[in-house]
Amino acid sequence: MNPAAMRFSLWLLGAPLLIAALGLGFQGMAAIDSSLFFTWGYFIEVLIAGLLQGVLYSLVALGFVLIFKASGIFNFAQGSMVLFAALTMVGFIEMGLHWTIAFVLAAGSMVLLAIAIEKIVLRPLVNQPHIILFMATIGIFYFLDGFGQTLWGSDVKVLDIGIPKDPLFVAEGLFEGGILVNAFDLVAALVGAALVAGLAVFFQYTRVGRALRAVADDHQAALSVGIPLKTIWTIVWSVAGIVALVAGIMWGSKAGVQFSLALIALKALPVLILGGFTSIPGAIVGGLIIGAGEQLAEVFLGPLVGGAIQDWFAYMLALVFLLFRPQGLFGEKIIERI
Amino acid sequence: MFYRESGQFKTSYTADQSIFPIRQDRIGLLILGLVAVLAVPALASNYFVETIFVPFLVFAMAALGLNILTGYCGQLSLGTGGFMACGAFFSFKLATAFPELHIVLVFLLAGFGTAAVGVLFGLPSLRIKGFYLAVATLAAQFFLVWMFNKFDWWTNFSPSGVISAPPRAVLPGLDVTGSGADPITKYLFLLVVVTLSALVAKNLVRSRIGRSWMAIRDMDIAAEIIGIRPLWAKLSAFAVSSFFVGISGALWAFVYTGSVEALAFDINRSFQVLFMIIIGGLGSILGSFLGAAFIVLLPILLNNAPAALGLRISVELVSHMEFMVFGALIIFFLIVEPHGLARLWQIGKEKLRLWPFPY
Amino acid sequence: MSYGDKQIGDTLLKVDNITLAFGGVKALTDISFEIREHEILAIIGPNGAGKTSMLNVINGFYHPQQGRIMFRGAERRAMRPHLAARQGIARTFQNVALFKGMSTLDNIMTGRILKMKSNIFQQAIYWGANQREEIAHREVVEKIIDFLEIEAIRKTPVGRLPYGLQKRVELARALAMEPDLLLLDEPMAGMNVEEKEDMCRFVLDVNDEFGTTIALIEHDMGVVMDISDRVVVLDYGRKLADGSPDEVRANQDVIDAYLGVSH
Repeated sequence: MNPAAMRFSLWLLGAPLLIAALGLGFQGMAAIDSSLFFTWGYFIEVLIAGLLQGVLYSLVALGFVLIFKASGIFNFAQGSMVLFAALTMVGFIEMGLHWTIAFVLAAGSMVLLAIAIEKIVLRPLVNQPHIILFMATIGIFYFLDGFGQTLWGSDVKVLDIGIPKDPLFVAEGLFEGGILVNAFDLVAALVGAALVAGLAVFFQYTRVGRALRAVADDHQAALSVGIPLKTIWTIVWSVAGIVALVAGIMWGSKAGVQFSLALIALKALPVLILGGFTSIPGAIVGGLIIGAGEQLAEVFLGPLVGGAIQDWFAYMLALVFLLFRPQGLFGEKIIERI
Repeated sequence: MFYRESGQFKTSYTADQSIFPIRQDRIGLLILGLVAVLAVPALASNYFVETIFVPFLVFAMAALGLNILTGYCGQLSLGTGGFMACGAFFSFKLATAFPELHIVLVFLLAGFGTAAVGVLFGLPSLRIKGFYLAVATLAAQFFLVWMFNKFDWWTNFSPSGVISAPPRAVLPGLDVTGSGADPITKYLFLLVVVTLSALVAKNLVRSRIGRSWMAIRDMDIAAEIIGIRPLWAKLSAFAVSSFFVGISGALWAFVYTGSVEALAFDINRSFQVLFMIIIGGLGSILGSFLGAAFIVLLPILLNNAPAALGLRISVELVSHMEFMVFGALIIFFLIVEPHGLARLWQIGKEKLRLWPFPY
Repeated sequence: MSYGDKQIGDTLLKVDNITLAFGGVKALTDISFEIREHEILAIIGPNGAGKTSMLNVINGFYHPQQGRIMFRGAERRAMRPHLAARQGIARTFQNVALFKGMSTLDNIMTGRILKMKSNIFQQAIYWGANQREEIAHREVVEKIIDFLEIEAIRKTPVGRLPYGLQKRVELARALAMEPDLLLLDEPMAGMNVEEKEDMCRFVLDVNDEFGTTIALIEHDMGVVMDISDRVVVLDYGRKLADGSPDEVRANQDVIDAYLGVSH
């Protein structure tokens, strides 16, 4: 079993222990401070809500990982791609099309967008240092933001494609009243899992996937062995665009399609720090940790300092990780050769 | 032909290392100085001064600070807004707690305070680089803004939550803050502050510390070989940068808008200042000014252009188009001239060597 | 030239049983040799022998798992490169580690950083103490520029210089540190015959005029035989031979290593 898989399984086993410890800690704190409220049922509820929120973060982070893995570029515009994709989808639905057709058309738009980005931004900047490319993606971020809203308007849009949103009560036997879980969040989790599995297979086992990894390492070297950079990049950004579309649908259904969606991208950064920039399973695990951590901190620690901890909790957590394990849980250690 | 350097030989290293070694540059600077000090106050309307020159100078200060950290030392920072907030709120607390303290001292102390905060959030830079560091600065940004918003102590427990900067005078009778301040006075005050800051920044950048910053930026491994201590160099960059950025935040609140609120310093502000130094030119003092001017003038241009062209576009649409133009310009500059307007300026001067002759 | 009269001093740096491993790969195995003051020592060996790793160990980049380094008789604890620099060790690189964003003059001036004393406030004001210091160091740097004959390119950004000149600028920067020990990693790589002759002349002049101890990695056997006082041969991370150029040339193990006889 390779080291990464071993580490993954260790975490899988260690996670329940960690959660139990956290629960006990919060229970202790609530006993001391009466402003804090704690029951085990409530704890599990918040935890699950956080984990499922985390899946949504992971979906956005996935797009980042794809592009970073394949081109070494940190795509700051991923968030606005999510927004743009969602806006386009809603736009098509509002024109009267059934959501499956709208999905296909929206996916097609993302492919067109990828082609445009490759031609206008990536090609002229090939071989520039990564920091320049990163700043170019900030430019794309602003451009897409304005463009999407110019095309489709900036009101908050409702996106409803029929995903069930009913609350479910589970485990009524174990906990009093059962635990409240939202059906929607479960669907999102399943979609996320399917997407991750598909992408992992794509990268590991297909020829295109291998070429993508080569390109991520060294543009010039990849070019010199005949890998068509243009095509590869277009493919990657298209796939990332479609991932963004799925993420946009999930987020949009949950919270409405609006400008603040673009800033979700910023939240994805801590996810990537935790999971490692080049790891697909890392994006998932990182998302889960950030999602759960944020919610738990807000509910059980927030009251101590007046709330709204979730504004900065994720970033502080990422900062701590950066200090002790910069490559994240699953990323590759960067060794600099002199 | 107007910009010929030939014939201007330097006979000492001192002359060679002066800030403006070419005579034409010195003349140009003199003219600019005269225009700034005499022409603007005499000719520009109060409205112009308040909406263009004052914010331009404040932004130039912020861009100066960020350029030191990101342009000269290569440490990408997205926390500019948070540090500006530090400067603003530190100044507010100091000014209200010690009303007799001169406003310039208040600003300087706030700057030092922000420098300390900058060093604190710069500590991770020893272990992390590039956009990983940007994430650390994001933590600073979000945490600081949250802190200033959340704890009423910062606003002196003001019931409405909106606080205005108390009026202060730089010399008796010359108010620079508060509603009674005359725009021209404010403008001249800012002019002096920003010019001095630019001078200090230029001096630092051409001395040992500036070279160590640039060495870290270009190749930090090689920098270590020649004896530069990376942590010291990076932290000093954070400190000096945050000093300037903090003062710019204080100026923003006290001299420009007149009110001290955390929301004015959110993540969008950080991006705005970053754009200024990208477009103006990373690693260039002149670039900070050019970028600030550009970003201040662009929205005004975009707002007035449709009217001038006879088109009627909604305000909302204009702000969306602003975003599009910003984004497109960033990409344009990165492709065409990654060294920004400052480099274009240099190229322009080189062409002036020959013009109007073809070769 | 005064090769014959050169006084080789005591041991400046001694490397004792150094073993360096990366994961499972052993880069260096039980290497011991010494560098004597004022001498020119050449480290040679086939590609992958561990020569650059050896320099990196001396420099403080890599920390050996076993063994110790004695500098001027005192044992040196594992240290970062900037501390090695403070001790008087300067270095050039195979792949030219210059600061591409700065001019030649500025690059060489960075070499004087350790010798500059003014504090941040003096630098902020510039006029007065800081300016005097800058000018004084500028004069030293200009002497080095004259010495290495690179006056014409002093204001050119180094990124625009051809490879051979970049190497010379890197040497100038190392010299600006006034080092006791100068480590050169393939200083002649990629140069034509004339450039090599120039570089040899500079290396010898540095050793002659300033008495700087030099350890260099080099592939060109002609250069090695001509200018070095002693030669250390590495292969697969082990030391094969250690002695004067003639001794090493006659050593059977060395001949086998270069001709590729398996062992």
